[in-house]
Amino acid sequence: MLISRLWLQRFFDIPLPPALALADALTFHAFEIETVEGETLDVKVTPNRGHDCLSHRGIAKEISAILNISLTHDPLKKPMSGFTKSRYLNVSIENPSLCSRYIAGYIRGVKVGPSPDWLKDHLESVGQKSINNVVDAANFVMFHIGQPMHIFDARTLASKSKQKTENSEQLKILVRNAKKGEKIETLEGKEYELSDSMLVVLDANSIKPIAIAGVKGGKFAEVTEITTDIILEAANFDGVSVRKTAQALKLRTDASTRFEQILSPEMAAIGMRELVDLIKEIAGGEVEGFVDEYHRKQKNAAVLTTSKQINHILGTDINEDKISDTFTRLGFPFDIKSSVFVITPTFERLDIAIPEDLAEEVGRIIGYEKIPGIELPSLDSAVDKPQINENFYTAEHVREKLISMGYSEVYTSVFSDKGERRVANKVGGERPFLRSNLLDGLKEAVERNVFNKDVLGIKEVKLFEIGTIWDAGMEEVVVGIAGENEEASQLPLSKYRDEISEIKKFEDYPASSTKRYKSFSRFPFIVRDIALWVAGTTAAEDVEKVIKQNAGDFLVRIELFDRFEKNSKVSLAFRLVFQSFDKTLTDKEVNLLMENLYVAAKKKGWDVR
Amino acid sequence: MPRGHIHPISSLIREANAIFYKMGFTIAEGPLLESEWYNFDALNVPKDHPARDMQDTFYIKDEPGYVLRTHTSGVQIRYMTEQMKKGILPPYRIIAPGKCFRNEATDMTHEAEFFQIEGLAVGEDITLAHLKGTFARFFSAIFSGNVEIRFRPSFFPFTEPSIEVDMRLTGENAPEKLRDTWIEVGGAGMIHPKVLQNCGVDSKKYQGYAFGPGLDRIAMLKWGIDDIRLMHSADLRFINQF
Repeated sequence: MLISRLWLQRFFDIPLPPALALADALTFHAFEIETVEGETLDVKVTPNRGHDCLSHRGIAKEISAILNISLTHDPLKKPMSGFTKSRYLNVSIENPSLCSRYIAGYIRGVKVGPSPDWLKDHLESVGQKSINNVVDAANFVMFHIGQPMHIFDARTLASKSKQKTENSEQLKILVRNAKKGEKIETLEGKEYELSDSMLVVLDANSIKPIAIAGVKGGKFAEVTEITTDIILEAANFDGVSVRKTAQALKLRTDASTRFEQILSPEMAAIGMRELVDLIKEIAGGEVEGFVDEYHRKQKNAAVLTTSKQINHILGTDINEDKISDTFTRLGFPFDIKSSVFVITPTFERLDIAIPEDLAEEVGRIIGYEKIPGIELPSLDSAVDKPQINENFYTAEHVREKLISMGYSEVYTSVFSDKGERRVANKVGGERPFLRSNLLDGLKEAVERNVFNKDVLGIKEVKLFEIGTIWDAGMEEVVVGIAGENEEASQLPLSKYRDEISEIKKFEDYPASSTKRYKSFSRFPFIVRDIALWVAGTTAAEDVEKVIKQNAGDFLVRIELFDRFEKNSKVSLAFRLVFQSFDKTLTDKEVNLLMENLYVAAKKKGWDVR
Repeated sequence: MPRGHIHPISSLIREANAIFYKMGFTIAEGPLLESEWYNFDALNVPKDHPARDMQDTFYIKDEPGYVLRTHTSGVQIRYMTEQMKKGILPPYRIIAPGKCFRNEATDMTHEAEFFQIEGLAVGEDITLAHLKGTFARFFSAIFSGNVEIRFRPSFFPFTEPSIEVDMRLTGENAPEKLRDTWIEVGGAGMIHPKVLQNCGVDSKKYQGYAFGPGLDRIAMLKWGIDDIRLMHSADLRFINQF
């Protein structure tokens, strides 16, 4: 989520540190930062904090707690004055379990026009386009405090009754599950067919859907340049329902991603107040009144913990004052009764439910660097001593045996083009089956490796794999063997268990001693042989050295493969492998390299056979 | 006949086993085709959690309730449940190295099949400080050098607090490319009390840590391997270097 440092500044009186310093503070005390570009941070809010942190206010609150600077302008702390009841608006919620709160506000006589520069700048800083002052205001409130807002053109709803006498013109909003096949055209002009598990907002007078609840507004009641009367929506829709709807329609929006995370219904009231204030400021109009249907009030349960418990989880020795200080910085009201913290998390912090949650708050705000690294306690009792896992022991035994016999270990994919079990949803759809044997994969691997024998400098390809197969309704670990000169075969790992008489002790088999891996060329290689007559006193190593010095950088392997003596002279035959890292070598290029070698050999007095 | 070569992941698991055995850990295991209970529910991953969405998890045709395990964490549940059934109370210390699956497109750093090493220590007083100590010991042995461990806040449904672990290698023994830079090595945390309760472990009396770094990534760092797809390539130009 994009967060602008300048936007954050609205919440503070004292100047904030630079963006990079904010990024550091968040990284080590709250969230991962994907990027920092100028004054904009891309913050990766974790799923447990989607309730309260998908907004500038949420991030500002974190910064306030982490850096211990006062959040002087907190919309969540501003006292609420209550909503005057509207005489014209009517809201009904058919299923309050999917919509715990719906506040509608009625404003008449607004002037739709361009947004002021500050508002345009704020929205642009988080990658949003300015549309008009009224729509921008609703967007601003969402990015400001995290509560999605929506605005309808009230005239489109009122069109049913033309006489505007007092009380006769009732605007009716209905929230209910869509009828199967019910259709709605969204603001983008795209039509969606809804199913009965999806929630819609309707104009109850005309029975027209005006929004896919919590996901997207409809074209029908869109705010345009000629709009004068508006209905503001601040609602709390069920997270799971919104997520499923957005998923089914492939329509994820900034609103749906926030509702998905589950928001406090208390936020709706704050959103409404903030939006009304902003619209009055930048678009004028007169507030007629509100309807607040709030059926399922949020209950805030206290969480109890002690400094002993917190230290026992973190492995620290943090004193009670420091812990109290953390809760104060987070703005959690608390009492301490005989060393027990009784903490009531603020309403937007729906993630705080158990003492462990509080331990995390203390740990991360104080800083995890305060946690020492210590060794595990020793295990005294014999029953607690580590056991030897039979399957692992057997696998290690087999692995060691096969390696000593010259087999090299590979892992091949468990996915195959045939088998008993099939993956229902494989990305790309290729090889959707779970393999029923290791042999197919191993044989393929042998074939591929045979081509590389020269560059590998091996005489014979011999492979094995210890891996899982799904056959005869069972999942089983088997050992497969394959080589270019033998029939591929496999046996269940359990059969090898019989080779081991008794598992007595932990076997410390050697791990690979390789220090660094060297990437290899994917280009074809060319093989050439060279045989030289040299004096009997000349060592093969010296000849090899001369060849290496004169063969150029493309020589990747040299091997002496034949040697015989005749008349006090020795014939040495070497196999040379040439390969480039960035192109396919041609015969011509390698011929030239060979010519150089012949010249070098002649200079040494060696005869090329 | 010259000796064959060990796969680097097997070598790493062998090494990890030796290090953890000395710290009192036993190897535990579980199936690759796992039930949703072990892979999700018991780990406090709610039914409607995004992690269960089709794009991440391989589901099996005509076998509802089963997935190719998305992590080794299900082994925690299997092990603790079994111990409790046998009447064996904590302390528990296990590692579970093994293959996991993610249903995503592959590239140089992402594979549908990858290896993870799960670790778990449960007792009456196992803390985050022990986790830091355990990581320091493990990584200094794997990278044969001095290691510093750093925690950052994170989130997993099955741990609380949840952390992300970074390490930094210092000193002359450290590979030059890694020396003195912080490297992310994996997620961890204190086991969520609900997870312990789901296994029948008394979460009022016992607590512990769990971790699950990726072995492919550790292998890639340790040896400077540049492409994760080499792990399943069965290419001896790769394997024979180990």
